[in-house]
Amino acid sequence: MPDLDDPALARKTTKPAAPSRRSVLRVAAGAGAAGIAATTLGSLVGGVAAQASTASRTPADHTGPEDPARTDALVLHVRDAAAGEIDLFRGTTQTRLHDRDLAARIVRASR
Amino acid sequence: MSSHREAPEISKDPVADSTDVYAFVSPDRPHTVTLIANYIPLQGPAGGPNFYQFGDKVRYAIHIDTHGDGVANVTYEFDFTTDLANPGTFLYNTGPITSLTSANWNRKQRYSVTRVDGKGRHVLGSGLLCPPCNIGPLSTPDYEAALARPAIHKLSDGSRVFAGQRAEGFYVDLGSIFDLGNLRPFQNFNVFAKGRPAAPGVNATKFLNVHSIAIQAPISRVTKAGRPVIGVWTTASRQRVRLHSADGGQDVHAGPFHQVSRLGNPLVNEVLIPIGTKDFWNTQHPVQDKQFAHFVAHPELAGLLPVLYPGVFPNLAALVKAKKARVDLEAILLTGIPKGIVPGFTNFTGPVQADMLRLNTSIPPASNPNILGLLGGDAAGFPNGRRVFDDVVSVELRAVAGATFALVDPKYTVDAAAGQLTDGLTPADLGTPYLNHFPYLGVPYDGYDQPAS
Repeated sequence: MPDLDDPALARKTTKPAAPSRRSVLRVAAGAGAAGIAATTLGSLVGGVAAQASTASRTPADHTGPEDPARTDALVLHVRDAAAGEIDLFRGTTQTRLHDRDLAARIVRASR
Repeated sequence: MSSHREAPEISKDPVADSTDVYAFVSPDRPHTVTLIANYIPLQGPAGGPNFYQFGDKVRYAIHIDTHGDGVANVTYEFDFTTDLANPGTFLYNTGPITSLTSANWNRKQRYSVTRVDGKGRHVLGSGLLCPPCNIGPLSTPDYEAALARPAIHKLSDGSRVFAGQRAEGFYVDLGSIFDLGNLRPFQNFNVFAKGRPAAPGVNATKFLNVHSIAIQAPISRVTKAGRPVIGVWTTASRQRVRLHSADGGQDVHAGPFHQVSRLGNPLVNEVLIPIGTKDFWNTQHPVQDKQFAHFVAHPELAGLLPVLYPGVFPNLAALVKAKKARVDLEAILLTGIPKGIVPGFTNFTGPVQADMLRLNTSIPPASNPNILGLLGGDAAGFPNGRRVFDDVVSVELRAVAGATFALVDPKYTVDAAAGQLTDGLTPADLGTPYLNHFPYLGVPYDGYDQPAS
């Protein structure tokens, strides 16, 4: 199944669209059981929406429509703090955010 | 080996490590093809108490390219789930397992089969039981009749499927080959063997097991009308993230599935791809294989043979020195063999270079098969697909040694030894016979009778 690090997929990826505030909040809400990473994201998420970060997402695998009540674990990976590149992994999806400020705050929170 | 432990990273993840792929027109049901993907290499039959099973978090797939462009048009996906009946015992079974529903079997594994094609995703079967591993005569009596055969399931589209332990059917003298490229029948010529006499081969996989995923489907379900040649390969994928539980509970798996193992033709990643590239090769798709074509066109092994066996391969040495591209190997492994090379035969899929096991499904099963396949004049065998008994080690050794180069360059004189190379093994060196019916690979060895494999 392709992922955002797959060069073949990367070639096909169009310009990423900015996530809506609702979609980002939904990620945060769904991540309620994900422990520290999710809690950290939850405290930062207002900033994400406010700062017009961009995101691209792999096609969901064979999951159904998004369920706001989903409690799948969410894992956050700061790929490149300087570039603001952050990957969110949940279920069988990967969402890539581009937000330097958020990345910097996550790095600070991890110290 | 064909692809057992062939790359550094995947060798540490046995349940996702593909070992062999077979694709052939079923000899007893010639309107069908049988596709088999093997995983979990080199299983000692006594390897309990946690006997071998497929990975619940691994997505296994068998892909079929029906258009010749190196991209899958039909994919069968296999997803496994393990049920632990009694976590309070250390035992795999608490008494004889006499049926697939036996309460004595503590750790059952089930799976689903999903077909993905141009019309979408179709679940063909779910909750399908694997057989247990073959433990021994007390635990798994009457293994084949009571446990393995009932684990052959009919799918909703009429195909048949089996997923479970089988006897390793790939025979190879690993101990000799990995000892500086030695071939026991020819070791009297090996530069390092210093006068050791020629000796028969020793099958290193004798008495070992493997886990097979086998599907038998009508030819019409896996071909495009008017295009009888298909390309077949298997992949195993894992989710991008695994977070180990800190308290012994469930690990967290998240993210899209990412390919970690791939296998089409035997021995390609094992022998032709350099070690620093093998794990990367495993993540790539056949349609991307042009980037690896130079490893096929200029195989390292072709340069080693004249060094290991001085004076035995003079024409091969000259061919290597001239840096001529091995278009014979590129055809066999990357495009299929075009018309006009071997009289009356083709499994050419087009110009796209892609490592796939190519099967011309219009060629009927051989009534008198030759384990050397096409090299032995049997067009129903490797490299036209691959049957469980095909001697792919000898075929590929001979091909790399130049035996097939004369097909594309009539001026080339094949070294006398090239047409005789072998590690000295045949199916007679197996510990148990193949089956003459689905799933064709033999009854797995049990740990009581073969404890010292």
